[in-house]
Amino acid sequence: MISLIDAPQGKHLKILDFIGGHSVRRRLLALGFHKNDIIELDSRSIFGGPLLIKDLTTEVSAALGRGIAKKIVVEIIDEK
Amino acid sequence: MTKNNSFPDVIFLGQPNCGKSTLFNALAGLKAETSNFPGTTVKHTHSKVNFYGRILNIIDLPGTYSLNPSDEVEHVALTHLFVEKPDLIINVVDASLLGRSLELTLELIELEFPMVVALNMMDLAEKKGVDIDPKKLARLLGVPVIPAIATHGRGVKELIDAAFDILDEGKRPSHLDWSRDVEEKIEELSFILPEDFPVVANKRFTAVKMIEAGKLIFDDMLSEINPDFKRSLKIIRADLEKRHDAPAYEVIAAERHHLAFKLSEECSHVSRGKRQNWMDRVDDILMHPILGYFILLAVFFAFFFVIFKVGSPLEEFLLNPLNHLREYLSGVFGTSVLSSILDGLVQGFAGGIAIVLPYFIPLLFMMSILDDVGYLSRASFLMDTFMHRIGLHGKSVSPFILGFGCNVPAIMSTRTLESRRDKILTSLLIPFIPCSARTTIILSLIAFYLGPFWALCFYVGNILLIAVLGRLLSFFLKSPSPGLILEIPTLKVPSLKNIAKKTYVQLVSFIKFAWPILIAGSVILGLMQFYKMDSVVNLILSPFVENIMGLPRELGVTLVFGFLRKELSLVMMLQALGVSYQDVMSVITKDQLVIFTVFISFFIPCLSTVAILWREVGRKIAFLSMGLNITVAIILSLVVRLMIGL
Repeated sequence: MISLIDAPQGKHLKILDFIGGHSVRRRLLALGFHKNDIIELDSRSIFGGPLLIKDLTTEVSAALGRGIAKKIVVEIIDEK
Repeated sequence: MTKNNSFPDVIFLGQPNCGKSTLFNALAGLKAETSNFPGTTVKHTHSKVNFYGRILNIIDLPGTYSLNPSDEVEHVALTHLFVEKPDLIINVVDASLLGRSLELTLELIELEFPMVVALNMMDLAEKKGVDIDPKKLARLLGVPVIPAIATHGRGVKELIDAAFDILDEGKRPSHLDWSRDVEEKIEELSFILPEDFPVVANKRFTAVKMIEAGKLIFDDMLSEINPDFKRSLKIIRADLEKRHDAPAYEVIAAERHHLAFKLSEECSHVSRGKRQNWMDRVDDILMHPILGYFILLAVFFAFFFVIFKVGSPLEEFLLNPLNHLREYLSGVFGTSVLSSILDGLVQGFAGGIAIVLPYFIPLLFMMSILDDVGYLSRASFLMDTFMHRIGLHGKSVSPFILGFGCNVPAIMSTRTLESRRDKILTSLLIPFIPCSARTTIILSLIAFYLGPFWALCFYVGNILLIAVLGRLLSFFLKSPSPGLILEIPTLKVPSLKNIAKKTYVQLVSFIKFAWPILIAGSVILGLMQFYKMDSVVNLILSPFVENIMGLPRELGVTLVFGFLRKELSLVMMLQALGVSYQDVMSVITKDQLVIFTVFISFFIPCLSTVAILWREVGRKIAFLSMGLNITVAIILSLVVRLMIGL
């Protein structure tokens, strides 16, 4: 169990939980990020910029600020 | 809003970036602006459209992910839906994101208003290797599903036919059931809804919204009106939360989500494995943590290079015949009221056609390309980091970039920002962004007389100024902004037709609104000059214009008019100095030209910008913005004057 911000790039990750306030949870849900979705960290911009995330379950790509990424708990799934 | 009873109201609704506006444009001609950035249709558009002799009142609403008003844009959509009680909803769905898009579709079906689904972007889904069976989807949802490719105008006629059929039948869909235990709770709540309760759409929908509402407006209102009912609602929510171990709204969202994905899987077939196509590879480079920034810079420079390279020869080419016309007219009419009016007319007309349009059209065109491709959201991603340094985040990048076109839509698009603080800060900074009018001034004065390099310096300086101001302002506007959550839509091959349409729409609005002001302003100045009234204004302003700014006294009057339209100052400058465009340097020095440009660029947001600031963020901020701009313009002009040692 790690926070999305510490997750390795290019590996499949499973969303376990969102910590943090209602408004952030709601917005992530509406955008198409749910618990148990498989996501992938595509890119991490330099100088503490946002992360580029692709949700492989819903096919949604989004830029998430580091503050938001800290609030997403994921686990690494071994690719078989 | 009053309902127009003779024409059926048809509401267009879809998630951001589902191609809704493109489809809407294909239907209604050239009304809404479309783009590839989530949430750019912030103003809704009404159009009465005649199809085969039947008139529909079509309303295009801003994109919304769900019907839970978490931001202002979604709130606008919702209010309309509830107030206008449409005769038909056309739900536009992005076929390439079917699962997620159906979540909104399901929510709309819960309203049980007559509805048609336009399954848009079928080509994109196909490219992803997904085959969707629209007939099966229609059967499962209980509403007609029309496949469409809006960019090519495909499916538009079928959509209209289906819309008429549903309107004629008045057929309403019924909601799709969720898990048994959730449905039980909803039923329980709708059963105890008080008689006088303001039901939205239907009892079930109202009950669902109440469970979902969480800590929104509903709660406070209820505790005052009906404490008993509020207690029951609380118990029902608590029950759900306990059983599912999640907040009530998440339980509901999960129900929709699962149902949407089940439907999506049932009616789509993945024909081949996902493979990376060339667009994905291009995207990887655009978003690359290092290369991405080089490309961003290159795009920025190319943007202005093209505008200048197209604009300046065109400008020279167009100016000559118009100058001849002026000379001819003054030869024929001499000095009289009539000749002053005529000269003003020609000046205003020429200013529009020869000075403004050569830069304005390429600028609009380039903006549309960036927009259509989907580069705006990518620029937001890249710029997020830097925006944090000035107290904002990446979502403000899109309003900023739009600001290079025109500040007015830029300020309107700050509605997509979640916090009021971000909205205010962004709105205060936007008037410092050189809009197309100011770009025209910079290109036609600085670049034309001093060379493109200096224009570039001006631009870079301008952007630095915005950064410094942002930094300063965020000292006063502290509260931290919520982090960035921004969808990055699929990169699209730009459609020339789409871009041309968008450029055309904006061009028409320039010709309709701005040009008449330019012409009227020039005529008024001509008359003022004839009756020597301009010298009164110039005299009053002369301590400031001459002594502080070191500019020719004649320019005083042009500054006043610049408040109406920024280009007006430019057009009037030539008129006030009494020279043709090519001879400007014979009456003022290069230094004066720079100071004039600096002052004009920043000194006050134009009238329309002030009006939109007033409407969007309030009177106080509008005045604050004017004050800030005047202060900055004076300080900067003085600094520039001292620096070049006048």
